[in-house]
Amino acid sequence: MPWRLIEDDGVDAAAGLAADELLAQRLGAGTSPPTLRLYTYRPHSALAGRFQNVDNEINVAQCDAHGIEVNRRPTGGGAILMGPDQLGIALTMRGRGDGQLAKPRTLMQRFSAGIVQGLGMLGITASFRGKNDVEVDGRKIAGLGVYRDPSGGLLYHASLLVDLDVALMAQVLRMPFVDLDDRELAMLATRTTSVRAGLHRAVSVAEVRARMAAGFKSAFAVQLEGGELYSDEKAGVAALVDTKYGTRAWVHQDTTVEDTTGGARTRTASGAIELRVAMAGPTLKAVHVRGDFFAADAAIIDLEARLRWHPGARDKITATITEWAQAHPAESVATDALIDTIEKAVRQASGEPYGCFVTPEQSHA
Amino acid sequence: MRRPQQASMNHDVDVPPDRHYDEARHLWAQHDASTGNVRVGIDAIALESLGDLAYVALHEVGTAVTRGDTVGSLEAAKMTTTVVAPVSGTVIARNDAAMTDPSTINQEPYGAGWLVEIAPSNWEQDAADLISGEAIAPWVVAELERLRPEDRAS
Repeated sequence: MPWRLIEDDGVDAAAGLAADELLAQRLGAGTSPPTLRLYTYRPHSALAGRFQNVDNEINVAQCDAHGIEVNRRPTGGGAILMGPDQLGIALTMRGRGDGQLAKPRTLMQRFSAGIVQGLGMLGITASFRGKNDVEVDGRKIAGLGVYRDPSGGLLYHASLLVDLDVALMAQVLRMPFVDLDDRELAMLATRTTSVRAGLHRAVSVAEVRARMAAGFKSAFAVQLEGGELYSDEKAGVAALVDTKYGTRAWVHQDTTVEDTTGGARTRTASGAIELRVAMAGPTLKAVHVRGDFFAADAAIIDLEARLRWHPGARDKITATITEWAQAHPAESVATDALIDTIEKAVRQASGEPYGCFVTPEQSHA
Repeated sequence: MRRPQQASMNHDVDVPPDRHYDEARHLWAQHDASTGNVRVGIDAIALESLGDLAYVALHEVGTAVTRGDTVGSLEAAKMTTTVVAPVSGTVIARNDAAMTDPSTINQEPYGAGWLVEIAPSNWEQDAADLISGEAIAPWVVAELERLRPEDRAS
């Protein structure tokens, strides 16, 4: 069965997200075909992850001041800023005979193949890594998420950075750690990359979109037929905007999982390890590592990436740090001390309200 | 009671035989004969696939559900999915502690990690569509054989 390809620009956040969910729902019910949507949002839209507390992740006052729409995705993960230079990729399809239970990483990896091949056609060597990122030379270029509708339809979501307005993002999205020095802020900017940065040329979103379509066509061995939403789908989208994505109850809903931050410092024979953690309940959302003994920034970037959206339990952290150390044999940091420091920070976060490293006027406890 | 094809009884996942299971969604339903209520949770096979849960949201007490209706949602490793009622009835309790700390569900899926309690409207009929008793062990083996090869191939 061929997939439908829908291309849109300037999509309203509520309508765009409603369309993605509706297509997954209808696919599971057998009333819509598999659909690949390649679209951009109207400038700009700040989108929180499914369960995030919006006020902890997005500066809503700044968004209001700049006319930036705030909404909540059906998929998980962190808050993102979408606009004309970030390509939204939404694919609805059925699982491959896996009922309800394929592992998230397996699904994400399957989905990422289209993006990786599309980037390859542009001349960028990318790969799937960790649980849910597509990276280029260790830097994130696309974040992935999956929503499984009760009907059985799967919605794969990705935001591909064709370019990134770091200054606007810093204004709109709340950083988990705010008292960083200039060097650390500069290093944070190296955590991500974009298509334009990778190609060193002003590639258009249209060209990237065409390559992504070709990438999915190749990776999934399917035919793509250009189309648009059917009239009954448009009516369904409008209804879902009215009842869900256009409502304050959806966008500003609370979660019972508390956001917290913590920090710890350990002195070792080879230097001091200092790190902070931002947590959602028992899960590490982000880790920021300071240490003067790391040989390569790439090792720190990799360490922080591996610990993003990672369980806070010591045994899980130990397994991940052990793998990280094996991947970076030149690093002399004592892994036991590193694990202990992370655990100390996690424990501190457990007893601290969100924003313990945030200055009072920016606190959102 | 549904009875899948017999298979080896050896498996390494804890799926206790004292309750019923929704075979497609891997939820358990435990009927309390003294109260008539049904406690619902996620089984260990589902948790092995999902991994560590980051968030869980459950519908409010008083919500009326038909078997197959959504009673909550969850997130694991950036995948979000819904929790679907394995029986029809009314939600009479939800596990707020598990919502606050979803790791409880991974650690104690059949105990402290329960999700909701439902006063069933037709337990006998719904139970007939669930896996129970002697059918559990071969079903578990078949599910693990079905699910684990895909993971190894990825």
